[in-house]
Amino acid sequence: MDTVLLPLFAGIAAGVWLYARSIPQGGRSWWPLVAATIALVAVSRLAGHGWGAMLLAFAAELVAAALILSRGTPAAAAAARLFLGAMVAGTAAIATALALTGFGTMQPAAPLDKVAVALLMLGFALKLGLVPVYFWLPAVARASSVMTTAVIVAVVDVAGFCELLALREAMPWVFEGYAAVWIALALASLLGAGLLALAQSELKPMLAFSTIHDMGYLLLGVVLGGPEGMAGAWFAILGHALGKLVMFGAVGAAEWHLGAPPTLDTRGLSSSLPVAGAAFMLGALAFVGIPPTVGFLGHWRLYLAGAELGGPVLLAALFAGSAMGILCYVRAIHRTWLGPAGGTAGGPALPRAAAAVLLAFAITPVVLGLVPGAVGVAAPEAAVHATAPDVPPAAVAASLNTAASVAGGVK
Amino acid sequence: MHPITSPILALLAGVVLQLLLARTLTPAGKGILATAAAGTAFAASLLLVPGAMDGTVLHAVLLAAGDGGVALRLRVDGLGVLFMVMGTGTGAAILLFSIRYMEHEAQGVTRFYAIMLVFIAGLLVLAGAADMLGAYVAWEVIGLCSYSLVGFWYRRREAADGARKVLLITHLAGYGFLVGLVLVYARAGGTEWTDPAVADAFTTGVVALFLVAAMAKSVMFPLHTWIPEAMNAPTPVSALLHSACYVKAGVYLVARLYTVGDGQWQAAMGMPLAAVGCVTILVGVVFAMAQTDLKRLLAFHTVSQLGYIIVALSLGSGLGLAAGLFYCLSHALFKGTLFMCAGAVQHATGTRDLRDLGGLAAAMPWTARIWIIAAASIAGVPLTNGFVAKWLVFGAALDQGLMAIVMVAWIGSILTAFSFLKATVNTFYGAPSAALAGRRVHEAPPSMLAGMGVMAALCLVFGVAPQLLLVPVVAPAVAGLGVAWPLEAGWLGLLTGRGALALTTAGGAVLASVALGYAVYRFAGAPVAGPVSVYSGGEPLPAGDRPGAGDFAGMAEDAFHPVYALDPDPVYRAGWRRLTRLAAAAASVARAVPERRPVLTVALTAAALAAGVWLV
Repeated sequence: MDTVLLPLFAGIAAGVWLYARSIPQGGRSWWPLVAATIALVAVSRLAGHGWGAMLLAFAAELVAAALILSRGTPAAAAAARLFLGAMVAGTAAIATALALTGFGTMQPAAPLDKVAVALLMLGFALKLGLVPVYFWLPAVARASSVMTTAVIVAVVDVAGFCELLALREAMPWVFEGYAAVWIALALASLLGAGLLALAQSELKPMLAFSTIHDMGYLLLGVVLGGPEGMAGAWFAILGHALGKLVMFGAVGAAEWHLGAPPTLDTRGLSSSLPVAGAAFMLGALAFVGIPPTVGFLGHWRLYLAGAELGGPVLLAALFAGSAMGILCYVRAIHRTWLGPAGGTAGGPALPRAAAAVLLAFAITPVVLGLVPGAVGVAAPEAAVHATAPDVPPAAVAASLNTAASVAGGVK
Repeated sequence: MHPITSPILALLAGVVLQLLLARTLTPAGKGILATAAAGTAFAASLLLVPGAMDGTVLHAVLLAAGDGGVALRLRVDGLGVLFMVMGTGTGAAILLFSIRYMEHEAQGVTRFYAIMLVFIAGLLVLAGAADMLGAYVAWEVIGLCSYSLVGFWYRRREAADGARKVLLITHLAGYGFLVGLVLVYARAGGTEWTDPAVADAFTTGVVALFLVAAMAKSVMFPLHTWIPEAMNAPTPVSALLHSACYVKAGVYLVARLYTVGDGQWQAAMGMPLAAVGCVTILVGVVFAMAQTDLKRLLAFHTVSQLGYIIVALSLGSGLGLAAGLFYCLSHALFKGTLFMCAGAVQHATGTRDLRDLGGLAAAMPWTARIWIIAAASIAGVPLTNGFVAKWLVFGAALDQGLMAIVMVAWIGSILTAFSFLKATVNTFYGAPSAALAGRRVHEAPPSMLAGMGVMAALCLVFGVAPQLLLVPVVAPAVAGLGVAWPLEAGWLGLLTGRGALALTTAGGAVLASVALGYAVYRFAGAPVAGPVSVYSGGEPLPAGDRPGAGDFAGMAEDAFHPVYALDPDPVYRAGWRRLTRLAAAAASVARAVPERRPVLTVALTAAALAAGVWLV
């Protein structure tokens, strides 16, 4: 997996560096903090699966909290507190669960096994910002610079998700025995955050909620497991990271141009920022999973996994989530970016370096969608085959039938 | 290079060259390059025709396996060849027209030509895809191309709004294709059109999902409302969208479903499709009659004409499929021509409002002639391909004793003729409009005339000698769907089968009548050209002694008033309002609990998770 993640993180680091040189993202302290965050996350991935990796990931989260705080505003301080609180609580819950299970080497006797599972669910829900414990992510998006949020979403969050993927391999019983609850958690994020994204009028929190919405998809892939689910989660996380970086970058360009955060009342930004507008659109397409982007490869597998294990009800819930995603982005594109300029001209133009970063990250998902083997994306497939479900398919299906009922209820 | 990949690769090479030479070529040069690429692709597609006539099915790999062993494979049979020839031929003519039409565009010309070429290539991949997954990818690619092209002038509110509507209706309905595809794959482990396991995995529900997607692309009622809004695109885009590359994608999907399980789904989908098609024929033409915008009028006629095609395909017989596919090709020719004529008019006058047009035949005689040929064709006047297409549809419906379809098609034809009478008279005849006073109206440049003229000429050629299209292109396509349709061609290639013989005889009779009429006109002394009174059958004439476009539209609105209530847009808007209200309610709950009381939220979540885990 690291053959994919490390180049991704390196690319993101280079992109963030180039972008932030053109459009300032913070004071002098911002640079070492962002570098430390990305570096710690990368090292934690290299450290494998153990206490060391966990501590490194937690250190990265602490530095990320400092990164949020570095903006120096009261809103940033409040957001940093929320973020830190969620990360500390999440890490504590996960660490306790891992201690109970010997770091995945054993399944404790009842009721400790159930306690461990509940703690893992709560811990990852807090770290990934799933509904209903998502509160830190919109606050961070509102209070931080765009690249701070992008790093947290595309690097820190992604690393947390990879930890979940590793647990899926190490502790399959946690997922297969309790699939219904995991799926309910995933669907709450998928549908709940989709609705909340539709209710936003500012683009930055809208992007934050759509991140949570997408995490619902990714979690479903992990829970459903199997080659399709896991590979789907891998492809989708690539589309997620790239798409989010591009969209936050484009919104940051708009903020730079306008001198204020763009909202749905902003009009015709593409007239003055055509590259940022095109990048936002491409990023949204990759994120929503429209062919031929890499996001489609992920979504296609997630749909397959959903149909195979959750039946038409789960499939319907997935498509309802997709429909909400597309409605949300199309509204943002057409109200904010396209159409006649409504007093948005006159601000500074998008610097060339930032434009190059946006274009590169916008085109990459399309290239990866057409040639997915180009950057060793086959690696996740190998990781997927290592997953060996120990629970009979009938048990999983029974559990998922319950999940499908839950999905119907949520919907 | 494999023969079936060469048309696609020629188009993609055109795209690459457009991008590489963007800074060196003039707008006209880019147009010539794009036309050359499409022309090459057309020539390469024509080379596939002999193989299709022999019943050969060609296989090739377009994109090697990369993602989990999934490759983009092509399997081109007669149906695929038909759509490839139609897409590249129509596309080449429209791109030829675009050279002069787009040469004054200040920016975005490279984008325009590159996306147009991808658009055509997308249709080719759709038509050639060996499996449903490849077809779906192509389906979405052409969807994105149409979105980008309809929103080409994205700084204009109406263009951006039109693009949004195109994307939302067709993409959301397109989930039907994707859901169906996922269900089939989950059951069969593959998605090849011809795989017996795939046929076994099909259910009525899956067929219905596919049809929903096809209905939105092919503007069937009630998913047709995006098409009039898409008119704010450059005219070549409208022409391509309407004639070949977009609305025909749905037609392709419906036709291709006959491949699955040797047409076993015709019984399930036949009657619903026929009903939807009949309603669409009438709704489209009635809405068209009320239009005063030339392109919107043509757009609603696309709705109506697609109804004919779908009705013909729904019949399921060999003659029905042949009728639908012949109609599909004929529609590409006459509708592409009509849009280009409308574009030429707008190019010359700066307007497409029928109330501001009139008397253009004097300044634009060739455009007027070309328009009349295409208008006659869409109205089903004998000696045009439109007549042959309608004849075949009527014949196929009569064969099955479906008089209701014949009646609907007949009424639709009458109203179409009425609508085009309005459009033709108000655009080209009568006194020049006051709105154009002082404006120097010029004839379309030769390359624009060539683009539309070639297609109009083909309307006549295939009207007089339909066998030129039926034998090499349509019959192999029907055979490719696994349906028997013996086409009898006798002396000099004239059709001699039942029905077709009568068609040939009728064509000959009309030709003789026209020749006789012309002889009388020439030798009996032609009347002097000048204004004449309008025959109104006793109805009072409006002020000015000349019924205008507004009068026609008003009359249609009076006559068909209840039909105009059949606008599904308010229903869609109400759905959107409900969703946004639900979102607002969710947001107020979210603000009250998770965002204001995070600790309580964490505690409640922990309790809920513990309860869930305990209960499972």
